[in-house]
Formats: sequence, structure tokens, C-alpha cells
Amino acid sequence: MEVGGKQIDFDKDGFMTDPGLWDEQVASTIAGEEGIAEMSDKHWGIVNFIRTYWQQHDLAPPVRLICKEVGVSVREIYKLFTSGPARGACRVAGLPKPDGCV
Amino acid sequence: MPADDKTPADIATAAREALVRVVRGAAAYHLNACVRCGLCGESCHIYRADPTPENLPAAKAAKVASHYRRYCTLVGRYLPRLVGARDFTSAALEELVEAVYGRCTGCGRCGLHCSIGLDVAAIIRAGRHVLASIGMVPDGLQRTVSNQLETGNQMAIPRDELLSTAEWLSEDLKLERGDEAARVYVDQPGQRILYLVNPREVKFFPLSLMAAAGVFHAAGERWTMSSKFYDVTNYGFYSGDDDAARELTRRVMEEARALGVQEVILSECGHGFRSFRWEGPNWLGQEYPLPVRSVLELLEEYLAAGRIKVDPAKNSARVTLHDPCNLVRWGGVSEPQRRVLHQVVQDFVEMTPNRQDNFCCGGGGGMLSMSEYGDRRVASGATKAEQIRATGASIVATPCHNCADQLLELSKRYKLGVEIQAVVELVYSALL
Repeated sequence: MEVGGKQIDFDKDGFMTDPGLWDEQVASTIAGEEGIAEMSDKHWGIVNFIRTYWQQHDLAPPVRLICKEVGVSVREIYKLFTSGPARGACRVAGLPKPDGCV
Repeated sequence: MPADDKTPADIATAAREALVRVVRGAAAYHLNACVRCGLCGESCHIYRADPTPENLPAAKAAKVASHYRRYCTLVGRYLPRLVGARDFTSAALEELVEAVYGRCTGCGRCGLHCSIGLDVAAIIRAGRHVLASIGMVPDGLQRTVSNQLETGNQMAIPRDELLSTAEWLSEDLKLERGDEAARVYVDQPGQRILYLVNPREVKFFPLSLMAAAGVFHAAGERWTMSSKFYDVTNYGFYSGDDDAARELTRRVMEEARALGVQEVILSECGHGFRSFRWEGPNWLGQEYPLPVRSVLELLEEYLAAGRIKVDPAKNSARVTLHDPCNLVRWGGVSEPQRRVLHQVVQDFVEMTPNRQDNFCCGGGGGMLSMSEYGDRRVASGATKAEQIRATGASIVATPCHNCADQLLELSKRYKLGVEIQAVVELVYSALL
């Protein structure tokens, strides 16, 4: 897929194969696939926190921390990202698919 | 992938030894008896989505059988070409990976429909055993097993994070239930129950854990989790690594003994139930000293004994039920969840077919952890998606966290617009 003049590749789960190419335009494109027509401030808050946490820890953050740091409730996260924090929010944040049963 | 210091000949020898070790008795009979009638095709969700010959369950089993004939039968040893017997060459091993990990979830529906009753899934498992013994488990699946062995849980969640999450959920639960005692208990010795959960419930989807804690509180249950070993999953079962599966089982049963509980209760998890309830004693070579049951059986017991009071009007939306293969077809638990749902839901409808004859959602067998097969996984969920659509339900009760992820994705890709909930969540919402 080409976004903003860059070739972006995805694995067969739809996660970016090169997370280094991520930018806000890529995020908005993936969000579109998730049925998010327009990224709100809350969407960005969640995505940016996940991105920063991942850059520091090489892991997706637990949902508890997302709620605490961004100031949203769990139920709200599932409404904002209907595929959930892992296959929804982490995917928009350009992370590789989190390991395991998810 | 195989270790670099091994030659192809070393790998072939190790694979042959593993094959001879795992294929014995009934398994050898199953490997040799396929009559190639092809009836298994339509029984398989993967074949139905993409009816190429490689997706025929008989063809996947034949891959394993071709190696068995090469090394374990007289004609295959001397005239391999005559009987289609194949060596464990690098190319053949790659094909085997594709067949047993990439084209089969081990759901076992083909075995049910086989004209002569062959256990095809057991043959596939034999193939996985061989590949696991030579280090050829797909990376994503292997990482999940390794995480579990190294950290105690498949998502490598640190102990502090579990404790913080338990505290966080307890705060909300106290408010919702209006009682200090309503909380997520961790590392409490001498309770009646040790509760195991899917780490996914701790890391990404905590509402089911919160619901379970709420229902336990309402029932006056004495329960605890263990911060060391709380993982109900066993990816060694999926990868075919019996040593890993045995170790993961042993740790939990040892922890149950150390905490002095009377019973181990398993959260809603298909393969976790099958592993802990049925495969575990075989891996350990002995019976468990205490009962191991699904939380569904416990929920049914609470309702029957009047320990919790519910009002189905609180769940007025139409609900259908997905039958996880490892819980229902393999595990034998099909009725408790139905008896529970009939009491906590106002409008319950079955999908067709159901119970032992259910279709796999496509996410089983460790498929969710292997991204390389992601597109096939979603395509293979077409049958399940149409089953759900036909019910007109807006909620799919799903007693398996693995299936839940797949169904969530199917809802998005096939535009079903359904919500996926664990049975215990519906029980919690119905509490008076």
C-alpha cells in the first residue's frame, strides 16, 4: 500500500512489517480500515501512548496503563477501537502483532 | 527453524526417531486406514473456504502418513516410490509445517464425519510432535510457548503488572458491588478455589476477569489466583511439545498444592480446558489429587443451588452461543453453558450445526499466534460467520478467549456487527 509517497507493507495479520515507517498518515489509513472515519483526540492519545510505551519497552502496554495514562475507561477503549487494544489500537499504532493468544 | 549446526541428515534422523516414538498402536492404524473417499472435505472449515486438494483433511493426514510408510513399513523402506513414501528432506519438512500448522486447527470435525472414523486430528498432532522435536514450530507459536516457560505466562506479563491490574479491577469492582470484599484475590492460601485465567484477560480484555470476580463475590466463594502460575493456556499442547506441556501442567498443580486449595477452576478457554482437564494426567503420568473443572460447571452449580440470583431481563438482546472445539467436541462440556445461558439471557438462539458438530471459528490450533497464515485464518471463518449471521443475534457468547479474538475479527471482516462476550460476563450482567 502507498501512503504519502511511502510503500507500506503489512503481514498477513494486517500489522506493519516495518514499524519504523509509521507516521500519523499511516495511522489514519489503518484506522480507516478499522472503521474509524476520523481519529479523535482520544484515539490519538491511546495510539501515541501505545507507540511511546512500545519504543521504550519493546512490548505493547497492558490495558490498565492505557486507561490510567490516557484517562479512558476500559469499556471506552473497546468502543473507540472495536477490534480491541491489541488487534485494533496496537495495529493503528504500527506495532508488530503482540505475541500469544490475541 | 532447525538449528544451523545440524545437517539435513541429522534432522531427518531426529524426525524419524520422533515419528517412531509418537506413532504407536491406534495411531499407526489411523495412519494407514484412510480409504480416500473425500467425505472429510465438506466437514472442514478450511476446505470449505478454499477447496483446493491441499486443504482436504485426508491430504493433510497423507503428508504424515507418507513419512510413516517410508520409515515404518517394509515396502516403504525398500520400494518407497511404489507406495508414495517420502524421506524427511528439507522440502518435505517445510510441506509438513504448512500442512499441519498452516492448514489445520485440529478441530476434529473431519474425524466426526469420516466414513470409517479415523482420528485425523490425532494424525496431524503426530506431525506437530515430529516438527516440535526438531525445532520446526512456526516462530509466533514457539515464542508463545517460550514466553510461558520462561515467565510463567504466555504474554510475559511481569508479576507487578498482574498485581497492579488486580488492584485496579478491585477498585472498580468494589464500587460496582458496593462491598470491600468484592475484589480480585491473588496469592491467598487456604481458599477453596484456584482460578486460572487467560493472560489476555489480564493484559487486554479484563472485563471477563472482573465479571468472574463479581460472580464469585455474589456466590460467597472463597477463591484466589496465583501470581506465579495463573495461565490457563498451554501452547505446548498446540505446538506439539509434550515436555513443555507437561512442565506447564506440573507447575500449576504444584501451585494448587502449595496454596492448599480444594479445586482448580479454569476460566473460559477451549484448549486450556482440554489440556488441564484431559491431557494433563497423561502428561504427568498420574491422576490429579484434586478436581479440575471449567468455570461453566461452577456457574451452573451456583445457579442450581441458588447461590446467585439472576434476572434474564437484564440481558434482553438476542444471544447465540459458539461451541469451542476443544471444550465441546474434545472436552465434552456442552450443556452447562446452555443451562446457564437459558437462565441469564432472555432471547437465546442456537446456531446450526452446534454442540459436537459445531464448525471451528478458524482461530484454533494456535492459528492466532501464527501471522503467516492470517489471511487463511480469516477466510476459513466464512462458515462460522454465516452461521452467526443466520441467528440474527447481536451477542455471541463464547466460552473461549482464543475463539473470542477470532470472532471479533470475523465480525469486522464479514460485517456481522456482533458483540463477543464470555458466558461469565453475561452471568455478571444478569446478577440481581
